[in-house]
Amino acid sequence: MIADIANYISTHSAQLGTQITAHIGISLFALIVAVVIGVPCGYFASKSAKSEALVTAPFEILRVVPSLAVLILLIPIMGTGVKPAVTALTILAIPPVLLNTSVGFRSIPEFMVESARGIGMTEREMLFKVRIPGALPMMLAGIRTALVEIVASTTLAAKIGGGGLGEIIFTGLGLNRTDMLVLGGLLVAALSLLSGVVFDVITRRLLRYKYV
Amino acid sequence: MKKVVRRMLALTLTAAMAIGFAGCGSSGTGAAKAEEKSVVVGSKDFTENEIVAEIYALALEDAGFTVERKMNIAGSVVHTSITSAEIDLYPEYTGTGLITILGMEALTDQEEVYQTVKDAYNEQFNITWLAYAEANDGQGLFISKRVSDEYGITNISQLQANADKLRFSSQGEFDEREDGIPGLTKLYGEFNWKSSKIYDNGLKWEVVDNDEADVATAYTTEARLTETDKFVLLEDDKHMWPPYNLAPIVRNEVLEQYPEIEEVLNAVSATLDTDTVTQLNAKVDVEGEEYEDVAEEYYESIKG
Repeated sequence: MIADIANYISTHSAQLGTQITAHIGISLFALIVAVVIGVPCGYFASKSAKSEALVTAPFEILRVVPSLAVLILLIPIMGTGVKPAVTALTILAIPPVLLNTSVGFRSIPEFMVESARGIGMTEREMLFKVRIPGALPMMLAGIRTALVEIVASTTLAAKIGGGGLGEIIFTGLGLNRTDMLVLGGLLVAALSLLSGVVFDVITRRLLRYKYV
Repeated sequence: MKKVVRRMLALTLTAAMAIGFAGCGSSGTGAAKAEEKSVVVGSKDFTENEIVAEIYALALEDAGFTVERKMNIAGSVVHTSITSAEIDLYPEYTGTGLITILGMEALTDQEEVYQTVKDAYNEQFNITWLAYAEANDGQGLFISKRVSDEYGITNISQLQANADKLRFSSQGEFDEREDGIPGLTKLYGEFNWKSSKIYDNGLKWEVVDNDEADVATAYTTEARLTETDKFVLLEDDKHMWPPYNLAPIVRNEVLEQYPEIEEVLNAVSATLDTDTVTQLNAKVDVEGEEYEDVAEEYYESIKG
């Protein structure tokens, strides 16, 4: 079996390279879109209970629809390929980013905001010097959850011609070939873990003050 | 209060037992009847196989059999079902018998394939292949009508010559399978597709119809091939693929007990050609009719 896997890698190395690159590309693209949408929405949600319900509900409802179903539903609208794949993954990734951002903003101790106001900061200064740094750890934790989930789910992109490591897995399923299934599964798992580790390194740099 | 609950419980229990016994009773008489003249018809888990199995069942009922139906058995276990006598007969494909079940080398002559599987099944499994139908549900490639017209492609040789202008869509396995691209390459030459992408098998029609790919794989009796204004099935001009003719396979034990089965089912097979089967598939998969209704309608039409 290990020999089978090694053999597959040696005969399909170019293809594997493209698949891994495509996998990472789709994942990162979806993550960026999810952050761009999720963080502002999370900030808005942290303002009041009403705004939270308003923003969270639609994304939570969307999130319940399985990604595979989202993909198929998007075909008449967006066709096939990378676009619908990124959309489906973004829908999957927004809730963790949004909710953690919202919790992060709300968990800032009142006395910090009071002190900031006390020393004469403007609202704008308070946002950038107190609120955002205060919410950042939670926000990053949410983005990390989303990232790991996206990398694992990008597998589905292969169903609609988006490419990625799912191609090996679905082909292996069709051919009933364990070597391909194991290789594809391991690569996705490794990529998912690796992305988590890389993200942790970045987090440590961003939150240096916590670790001095 | 407690008493009431207890009484209710006793009542439900009695009722349940009564139903249980009644159930036993009816299945008992069923078994007794079954000794008269009864067969179990099975089918694989896709439309075409279900329709054909249902036609067999109707023909057998017409010939005075009591037919028990066990439809929708996964393709990978249907062979075990018949060898373990859970079903008595089902529609099988000669090529599947040869390559998948017997694990033999692919042959391309349909008569030769049929004789080979007939002999081997009889010897190894005690199963008889009755006469095969002309209908061939084999591997194939189709292209969009537009591209077919533009480049004048109607067979796989022409496809190979024009491959660099065409976008290929596969379900993944076709790129790897010995009877897929590797085999085609050996027989027809290299296919230098303009692009080659992987899609879910169910999407191929949409992908080609929406002009996101030009060529895709299909089985030769797939329902949507009836949409000849959109899709063109390519001729396998160098005979790459083995024939997959439809035929009923029956356990010898059952056939010895009821030899008349042969005549009944051969009469059905004689009417089934590739076009007919494709159209039957289309009635279910495209027009959304129930396979039982389609089978019945067809059987009425051939009963004459």
